[in-house]
Amino acid sequence: MDTSSPSAFVNGALLRRFIGQKVRTVIQVTGSEIGSVVGKSTDDLQIVVRGSSPPSPLTTYLEVIGIAESDNAIRAETWTNFGNTFDTQNYNELCKLANGEFKHLFI
Amino acid sequence: MQTSVTPDAISTVLSNPSFDSSSDRSEIVVQVVDLKPIGNRYTFSANDGKTKVKAMFTASLTPEIISGKIQNLGLIRLIDFTVNDISSKSTKYFLVTKCEAVGSVLDSEINLDSKSGEEEAREPKKQKLEHSPVSPLNDVVSTGITLKPKQEFVAKSASQIMSEQRGNAAPAARMAMTRRVHPLVSLNPYQGNWTIKVRVTNKGVMRNYKNARGEGCVFNVELTDEEGTQIQATMFNDAARKFFDRFQLGKVYYISRGSLKLANKQFKTVQNDYEMTLNENSEVEEASSEEMFIPETKFNFVPIEELGLYVNQKELIDLIGVVQSVSPTMSIRRRTDNEMIPKRDITLADESRKTVVVSLWNDLATGIGQELLDMADQSPVIAIKSLKVGDFQGVSLSTISRSNVVINPESPEAKKLKSWFDSEGKEISMSSIGSGMSPSAKNGSRSLYTDRVLLSHITSNPSLFEEKPVFFSTRAYISFIKPDQTMWYQACKTCNKKVTEALDSGYWCEGCQRKYEECSLRYIMAVKVTDSSGETWISSFNDEAEKILGCSADELNKLKSEEGEVNEYQTKLKEATWSSHVFRVSVTQNEYNGEKRQRVTVKGVAPLDFAAETRLLLQDISNKNKTSQ
Repeated sequence: MDTSSPSAFVNGALLRRFIGQKVRTVIQVTGSEIGSVVGKSTDDLQIVVRGSSPPSPLTTYLEVIGIAESDNAIRAETWTNFGNTFDTQNYNELCKLANGEFKHLFI
Repeated sequence: MQTSVTPDAISTVLSNPSFDSSSDRSEIVVQVVDLKPIGNRYTFSANDGKTKVKAMFTASLTPEIISGKIQNLGLIRLIDFTVNDISSKSTKYFLVTKCEAVGSVLDSEINLDSKSGEEEAREPKKQKLEHSPVSPLNDVVSTGITLKPKQEFVAKSASQIMSEQRGNAAPAARMAMTRRVHPLVSLNPYQGNWTIKVRVTNKGVMRNYKNARGEGCVFNVELTDEEGTQIQATMFNDAARKFFDRFQLGKVYYISRGSLKLANKQFKTVQNDYEMTLNENSEVEEASSEEMFIPETKFNFVPIEELGLYVNQKELIDLIGVVQSVSPTMSIRRRTDNEMIPKRDITLADESRKTVVVSLWNDLATGIGQELLDMADQSPVIAIKSLKVGDFQGVSLSTISRSNVVINPESPEAKKLKSWFDSEGKEISMSSIGSGMSPSAKNGSRSLYTDRVLLSHITSNPSLFEEKPVFFSTRAYISFIKPDQTMWYQACKTCNKKVTEALDSGYWCEGCQRKYEECSLRYIMAVKVTDSSGETWISSFNDEAEKILGCSADELNKLKSEEGEVNEYQTKLKEATWSSHVFRVSVTQNEYNGEKRQRVTVKGVAPLDFAAETRLLLQDISNKNKTSQ
């Protein structure tokens, strides 16, 4: 397993703790322009994802892995369509546990 | 107006227990002392100035006491009463069913002895009279507390007291004096000579049966003793005919010379490891008017919320609930004999905030059902003994012939329920217990996400399942399906029962009593399942095995018989292995060659819903944190 470049699971609120670092999150797509996708994080905050070549067409849910640029923006390196059904609540809880109580289990 | 008691009234009655005609009693006046309430009735001591005896007014007289007509230290004329035994204390009491107050209330207890020397002189003689047995069969013991003048009191040894009380009665008569009544809980199959005193708390109908050994009739009763222990007693043929009319619901009997055997747990309706069989030589003797010392029907309530566990089980349940609605009566045509049967549906709710529909049938629909309809707006609490749990509309309850309905019972459960309903229950909206259940998971169905356990919970608790089947949900992987097991049987296409190949051709079905040209294969398959805590064998029947393997037994049989490079049969089994499912299982224990074995049977299989499983895991994490804090 490549552990040289870990990406932290984040929701909208956790993003600010990782500015300049690699993160991964899932958003519900609300709009897209050339070179950027706007979406809603699992904790209902707006996140803008920039970066080249988002997949087309986009499904409702989208996972992005990239560098946190600000508390509401990510520069994407990897885009993955996550389909149209996704349990955002579970994901949100995972983010909280992975950065809180069970941080030691994640890299 | 009478101003005093009838002298020697009590000792006369006690020494003459066959005192039956009411005309003889018309002049008995006693003083009421120590009047106090017990439940909804009143007890007192009847005082004739010399002797006191414990007594009780029947509940029908309670209003007379509340209204003040009958008062402590007042005089009453006993119009109708009986003399009864208190078996536990071997004393007697009067049960007063009818009386009238005479004269005004006195200032103190009447004590004639202290006034009259003449009475005193007669005392020893009277004592002797009182204690000599009237006939050997009469189990008479003097029980009144004799109000002797103080100076007569001398210390006596126990043997002196005994011989004085028994007089010179023959040994047999002494035996008969106190009938030794055994508590039901002490009975076992290895004990010969016992007498029990029990109330008939349920009486079944006479049923006719026909089996390999011939025809016959049978009926059973449920008996309850004063400790509340219950037992079922069954009578066949001659015994059934002999005792059917003798046993009456609600009455109290002395019973002896029955035999006990281990209860068949599958069919048992009362909590007792044994059941009783009475034959025609058994003795059943009614104990007159002793109702108050044996509790009424004993209930074992199941909350509505937990009814799912009993769906389509043989076990009957008791329920208590607040009446929400009562339907008019309907007539249902019974399929077997085309007879029209009245039915009425009532909806009950309880503190689990769930409702359930109970169908009352026959007399219960027309009798007590009508009563309930008339009082439905008062939201009465009702308790029902012996209900069958079916799966119509998820969960539904039906009365059977021996079900018993009690309106507004005087029990702590009923009071608690009523106060819950009055304080919050009537405000909140409640959902039907049946609505949450998937019709496919038919046995012990509950949501697959409740009562979730690990396999080790099942395998490490062999004693947990001795009583009755226990249901769990568990998430596990199929780890092994033995390819060379007998995985299916030849089944009747109509009734699914096992068929045998007929001599010439076709298949004979014992269930349908006819021959068919074709049969189908149905699974009965053993599968090993594994989770993080352990592994166990489970058996699965046709529908569940089909879901596990993804094909029918007929299809799989075809693959098995095909010869080729690749064995499709083996492949199919391998494909099913290491897939994960949520299983609904029932766990039972049975004895096989003297060895107790656990049997886990699949009652339902569902594919994993990952989101739901994740939610469950998250819930576990937060629960664990809560408990560790």
